[in-house]
Amino acid sequence: MTTQVSEPDIADFASESVVIFDIEGAVHYWNPASEALYGWPSLTMVGRGIGHLSTRSENEREHWRMLLQEGTWQGVVSRRTPSGIHIAVDIRQYVRFAQDGTPRDVIEYGRQSLSDGAVPGADWHIPDRLMAASWEIDVSASEALIAQIARLRGEADAEAQLNARHNDLVKAARIINVNERTMRLVGGNRGRDLMIGQPVAGFWPLESRATLGELIVDAMTGKTEDATYRRQLPSDGILRDPLVTVWRAETPGRIYAAVNGAVDDDRSYVYLRASEARYRKLVHHMPIALWQVDASHMGRIYNDIRATGVTDFGAYLDEHPELVELAATTVQITDVNRAAVQLLGGSSALDLMRPVGYLFTVNRSSLRNVMIGRFNGQTSHEEITKIETFDGRVLDVRMSVTYPKVLAELDVTIFSFEDVTDRMSMEAEIRQLQADFTHAARISTLGELTTSIAHEINQPLAAIVTNAETSLRWLSRDDPNVEKVKALTARIAASGRRASDIVQHIRGMASKRQPERVATDLNEIVQESLIFIRHEIESQSIGITTDLARALPNTMADRIQLQQVVVNLLINSVQAVEAQGTGTREIYIGTSLTESGALAFTLRDTGPGISPDDLDRIFEGFFTTKEAGMGIGLAICQSIISEHGGVIAASNHPDGGAQFRFEIPVETP
Amino acid sequence: MPKTPLVAVVDDDEAIREALCDLLMVTGLECSTFDSAPAFLDNVQNHFDCLITDVRMPGMSGIDLLERMRAGGSDLPVIVLTSVIDSSARARALDLGAQAWLTKPVADDALLDQLKAAIGAEDWPDGPEQ
Repeated sequence: MTTQVSEPDIADFASESVVIFDIEGAVHYWNPASEALYGWPSLTMVGRGIGHLSTRSENEREHWRMLLQEGTWQGVVSRRTPSGIHIAVDIRQYVRFAQDGTPRDVIEYGRQSLSDGAVPGADWHIPDRLMAASWEIDVSASEALIAQIARLRGEADAEAQLNARHNDLVKAARIINVNERTMRLVGGNRGRDLMIGQPVAGFWPLESRATLGELIVDAMTGKTEDATYRRQLPSDGILRDPLVTVWRAETPGRIYAAVNGAVDDDRSYVYLRASEARYRKLVHHMPIALWQVDASHMGRIYNDIRATGVTDFGAYLDEHPELVELAATTVQITDVNRAAVQLLGGSSALDLMRPVGYLFTVNRSSLRNVMIGRFNGQTSHEEITKIETFDGRVLDVRMSVTYPKVLAELDVTIFSFEDVTDRMSMEAEIRQLQADFTHAARISTLGELTTSIAHEINQPLAAIVTNAETSLRWLSRDDPNVEKVKALTARIAASGRRASDIVQHIRGMASKRQPERVATDLNEIVQESLIFIRHEIESQSIGITTDLARALPNTMADRIQLQQVVVNLLINSVQAVEAQGTGTREIYIGTSLTESGALAFTLRDTGPGISPDDLDRIFEGFFTTKEAGMGIGLAICQSIISEHGGVIAASNHPDGGAQFRFEIPVETP
Repeated sequence: MPKTPLVAVVDDDEAIREALCDLLMVTGLECSTFDSAPAFLDNVQNHFDCLITDVRMPGMSGIDLLERMRAGGSDLPVIVLTSVIDSSARARALDLGAQAWLTKPVADDALLDQLKAAIGAEDWPDGPEQ
């Protein structure tokens, strides 16, 4: 409520020039301080136009028109005195409005400028709270929408629809330009460039978007070109009782909007600004590359798709790959930080302010994953992917996406990309080292098993030699027995294949290769492993009991590495039984499917068991209780099993002897 | 007509057992096979003319088998046929009166010569029955 105390009475005693103009610019009141400042007596000034004080009446008219539209103005003007001398005057002008929103009059406060004689420059400081926040907005793309709204206005009960359309209009409206104050109030510290071209909705408070849309339609459909449309907005936390004025611009399809209003609380505003600036600065200087993205229209598309009953969005996208392309070309990046510019090798933030497609040139599927995450209502999504820089390098990056919490609020999705190329290559090196080490251990194991292996190959060879010689004996008789020779030849072939299979297994164990996952049967692994160790077992006269579960599911695993684990565990057990010397010499091997659906391998021996002190350290590298051992066998077993997502444990069986058990999850290809 | 000599073969490897048996048959000898030392011991009362045994076998080794037999008073000729090169085991086997220590793969003549020496030329068959 404006106070209705009659200002002229009080202003008579003011030391500052106080002038009241009617809206045509004619002086209505001229206080004594004005007489003192300008030299013009009140009597000569009242009723005169403002042009009387200025030699540049053209500028004055334009200024007046702007003032009435924007509501306030502050600056330095040059005013003419009766002597013909011009003086520079600091003036503040306020338009006062009637209850119905129409301008009533203009009150102007003035005092001689301290910088008398200096030409007012663009950098003259104007306190924010005295300046209108103005916008130039393009709505040329929304002609159809505006026409639709105009039609709807004639219809009954269209309020909800109208409200939605007004909102749509503000979202479709693009910023052509904003002034300093608008930029400072809502643009953060990223500058005007980053507001230009963006949807107005991104910067306009949610609660008054519909009102702005309504005013835009008023202005665009109004009969008179320079008519202004004005509405009081609810306080929005930035401005107190802001008043927005909208009018049509000279350029077709464009409008101007000016917002007047005192900052809610100067101190909190300053504090907010400072805090916002600090936050912005923090984000700007964060070493992690950040992208801010407006994917609000995709959110609406997802809602529509969800409404049709789609639940498996991945499958839906497989059928509609064009939706991924739509996102790539229409989801707009609205802000980026310095690290983002550096990561991609851009020259400025503007290089990055484009639709998101360029982030997914190497890996379109990552964009698909991001979309699925949002569709499924996740709060975030993370994956390792690849990104192409502006100079064509491809980086390994960890991409993290934070989705907006409430879909109706400001729709801001944050992408962060962290360059993990070095880490990945280091991890690759470590993997290589691990593979080398694992291979070295396998070779060492094979070395230990040389006698066993030689025996395994020698057996079929011995059978072959004897069978061949027997065949010759049958053939060299007076009555060659061809039937006998046929049977023996078939046996020779079988033994040859057996020898060849064993050589294959050894070659597999000895080969230096990258780990590879193939569908693997754990029981087969156990049986193949026994080939390597059978002779050791026999030479120690150790009995083997196997209890292999039937119909175990296959799992994706590295056969050779799992074999390595089983062989290692078997060798340990054989050595343990050997060390025990007396008593039962037995090794039990079992496979099973656990309740949780994992594959389990259990091995138990009748050796001396593991000293309780050693149980905790048994899987540590270079831990050994053997004179000749290097202590890498079990450490490698553990690393192989954990590579397969499983666990391995050692314990002592209640009936004596050591027990080893590993479990690996079943992974389907 | 002299009876056909009967040779026992103890080896845990089926292919070896079959191959040896076939060789013995083409020579005109009879053959019984056992897949372990205990299995042979269960049948030791049979009148074998010679034993061919492997060394490394699950349950009981060929050397242990030889020891048991000698301890039990058996003087059956024994030919050790193994792929193991173990001089102390070889010395032990010969101490226990083994006829020969042969390594796999064995030449047929070498094995048959030792068998002939063990069984005796007078009992040696001319060839398989037709």
